[in-house]
Amino acid sequence: MPLRSNNPAGQDTDTCFHCALPVPTGCDLKVDFEGERRPVCCPGCKAVAELIRDSGMSRYYALRDTPDPGVGRPAEETVEWRVFDSDDMLRAFTEKNAEALEATIYVGGMYCGACSWLIETTLTKLPGVDTAEVSPVTHRLRVRWRLGQAKFSEILGTLASLGYQPQPLSPESTTRPELIEQRTALKRLLVASLGMMQVMMFAVGLYAGDFQGIDQEMQRFLRLVSFVVTTPVVFYAARPFFAAAWRGVVARKPGMDLPVSIAVGSAYAASVYATFTNGAAVWFDSVTMFVFFLTLGRFLEMRARHRSIDRSAALSSLLPNTATRLVGEEASIVPVSQLLAGDRMLIRPGEAIPADGTIESGDTTVDEALLTGEAAPQRKSPGDLVAAGSVNLDGLIRVCVLRTGSDTTLGTISRLSERARYTRPAFVTLADHVASYIVIALLAVATVVATFWYFTAPERAFVVTLSVLVVTCPCALALATPAAFAAAGSRLSQLRLLVTNGNAIEALSRATTVMFDKTGTLTRGLPRITSVMVLNASMTEHDCRRIAAALETASAHPLARAFAMNVTLPEVTSQHVEVGQGVSGSIEGRHWRLGAAAFVGGGAAGTDSQSSAATNVFLGVDGEVVAWFNIEDELRPNVVQTLDSLRGMGLRIALLSGDNRTAVEHLAARLGITEFDFECTPQRKLEIIEAAQRDGERVLMVGDGINDAPVLAGADTSIAPAQGALLAQTTADIIMLGNSLEPLVTAVRMSGKTMRIVRQNLAWAIVYNALALPLAAAGLVPPWLAAIGMSASSLIVVLNALRLSRFN
Amino acid sequence: MSILYVLIPLALLLLGVAVWAFFWAVGSGQFDDLDTPPVRIIMDDDKKPDDGDPL
Repeated sequence: MPLRSNNPAGQDTDTCFHCALPVPTGCDLKVDFEGERRPVCCPGCKAVAELIRDSGMSRYYALRDTPDPGVGRPAEETVEWRVFDSDDMLRAFTEKNAEALEATIYVGGMYCGACSWLIETTLTKLPGVDTAEVSPVTHRLRVRWRLGQAKFSEILGTLASLGYQPQPLSPESTTRPELIEQRTALKRLLVASLGMMQVMMFAVGLYAGDFQGIDQEMQRFLRLVSFVVTTPVVFYAARPFFAAAWRGVVARKPGMDLPVSIAVGSAYAASVYATFTNGAAVWFDSVTMFVFFLTLGRFLEMRARHRSIDRSAALSSLLPNTATRLVGEEASIVPVSQLLAGDRMLIRPGEAIPADGTIESGDTTVDEALLTGEAAPQRKSPGDLVAAGSVNLDGLIRVCVLRTGSDTTLGTISRLSERARYTRPAFVTLADHVASYIVIALLAVATVVATFWYFTAPERAFVVTLSVLVVTCPCALALATPAAFAAAGSRLSQLRLLVTNGNAIEALSRATTVMFDKTGTLTRGLPRITSVMVLNASMTEHDCRRIAAALETASAHPLARAFAMNVTLPEVTSQHVEVGQGVSGSIEGRHWRLGAAAFVGGGAAGTDSQSSAATNVFLGVDGEVVAWFNIEDELRPNVVQTLDSLRGMGLRIALLSGDNRTAVEHLAARLGITEFDFECTPQRKLEIIEAAQRDGERVLMVGDGINDAPVLAGADTSIAPAQGALLAQTTADIIMLGNSLEPLVTAVRMSGKTMRIVRQNLAWAIVYNALALPLAAAGLVPPWLAAIGMSASSLIVVLNALRLSRFN
Repeated sequence: MSILYVLIPLALLLLGVAVWAFFWAVGSGQFDDLDTPPVRIIMDDDKKPDDGDPL
């Protein structure tokens, strides 16, 4: 029977069944799955799909969300998990609990609820494993196993064999402040919502009493119980608003919390006074409702923020878990947390560098793309500095540790971005201003009306004041903005855009310039062969690619990935990697070289490698160049359409990159971008953004990569693709899930629509109040009509906001 | 109507119990993960590897 396939029809033939990457041409790997032969892209995916099928977990493929291409693809390098069984490692990464061990593992490569099901079911089937729980949101696995009956390495190895990239977290990095924040926020939300419901019930009684008559004693009683219920709502649920308002006053930067606090505080105080002095009216219902809607808005916003993974995990997941420490010439594997300044460590080709240090011996090239945005590998020799988080590509080096943990360059960049975020001017929205000040104005007007009627017709003063208060209940105004933002936020998350900052939608709607980062944002950061020029008539393109693929099997260089093929490769003997130059080896008795022109065979005729941004790699045999490959970083899907749509909306497009001139010029020309800058440091990018802001531009920065984190925070608003460095996610206002850039257009359109709805809502609320207030103040609106008018106006505002949840 | 003087305090008492129970549940971690439980309910083990596709 047909699987409830997540692969759109027609794509089955060319995307990998497991990881959804396109199946390379010439690859004919297949997996037998429920009677059908499904294509897969690589032996790794084939092994994972077969493992999942054979262990009875086939339903995983029916239940999962459509994966982003490549997310579930197993890592190519194999990790030696057995080192994690040593006492040192267990002490560093697990907590001992009676006869059981517990560990928290960050699971890279998981993307939906079905992944957590697959992981939990597979792990609990291992003998000795008691519990395994995965959160699909934080990607954390909490696993508990009995000492001696299961091994840590077995658990990690199982995760790896399912195609995930496990990353044990040390216990201290798992104490999560956001969990405490969420618990408190939930409690406050519950107090506010239950309080609101109760007070509303009493309010119905009080309003009915005003209309039909009520015992003085019963009225006092209902007011008193309303007071009892409202008190915790004001002093517990609304406490963050008072605290934030006070901080604003102390810092002389009053925010929107101040008018909110004054409104809540004064309405509460006046109601309490009225309760104990038998005053004209109480408005405990308005107070609790106002607090509830504000708390709900804050809660939804907090949830969205927490979806981006917290900073400590982001930092540690960029660093390897273990380092090879050298004592004399004896190497031992230790957890990175045990490295100290002055230690010597050994770093093999392909390994990430765990701490900042200077090279003592060995030549290599390192990939610093994460730190500097520079895509080309950097040469390093003894005496040079290497930074934590960069990847050692092709040489064995010995490094003396200078700085570890948060003192490293990586840690500093992360602190810098936090500061940039902190100093960003608080953006006070117009909507909040209007809503909050109108609340205060209404209370003042009600007082004036009460005073006026008290002196002209004291017997009607009470009813008229009541009508004024009810008819102009701030609910519609208070709801206008949060309801629209909440609806927009939840719709955006369905459209795979996570909003992490409450101001993002409004800031986005005002953006006039979009600045893009290059590597990993416009491009995917995955090199690909775009053209092959064969210079020797006796060879075909396919031959050249096969030979190149075979030679590159020895290299960990990022460009090597471009050559990978899933066909039977010729056997290579005496394979050798020449650092920074290329690879060589013998195939069928001939000596082949692949790499830079000079390395392969001197001046390759007719190819000027400076004229193109793409990297040229040459293939030569016995000193003669036979072919050259043009390798480019692949563009993200739909980049051209996305840029066209953005231009169509009247946005200026600019490109800022840390990459070299030719690469940036080439890409800008290809995409029709006229404004660009190259070889930008993070400071330079920030300067460009600030200059644009001084010219009155509102900048939307789209970027990933750690070096962009301060830049993202400095722009008016920022969007990061989720597959970039995790740290960038934490400073971006909006996180874009998935591979395509198209959600960017949706986000900009959605923000405009949201702001239109907010303005409509505010306009409606103001018009309604402007009409109803004079009528009520003149004594023309009885309280029951006022109650209907108030409910209807709130309902209209909410329904209008809900239109956003159908936005496409 | 004087029954209200008994029923309303009773309702408030129940409200207090409900709030206490919820605070306890939050404190014991039952609400820490608000995202997994809704998907977990629709997933269970395939009993046998080859018992056909139940979907």
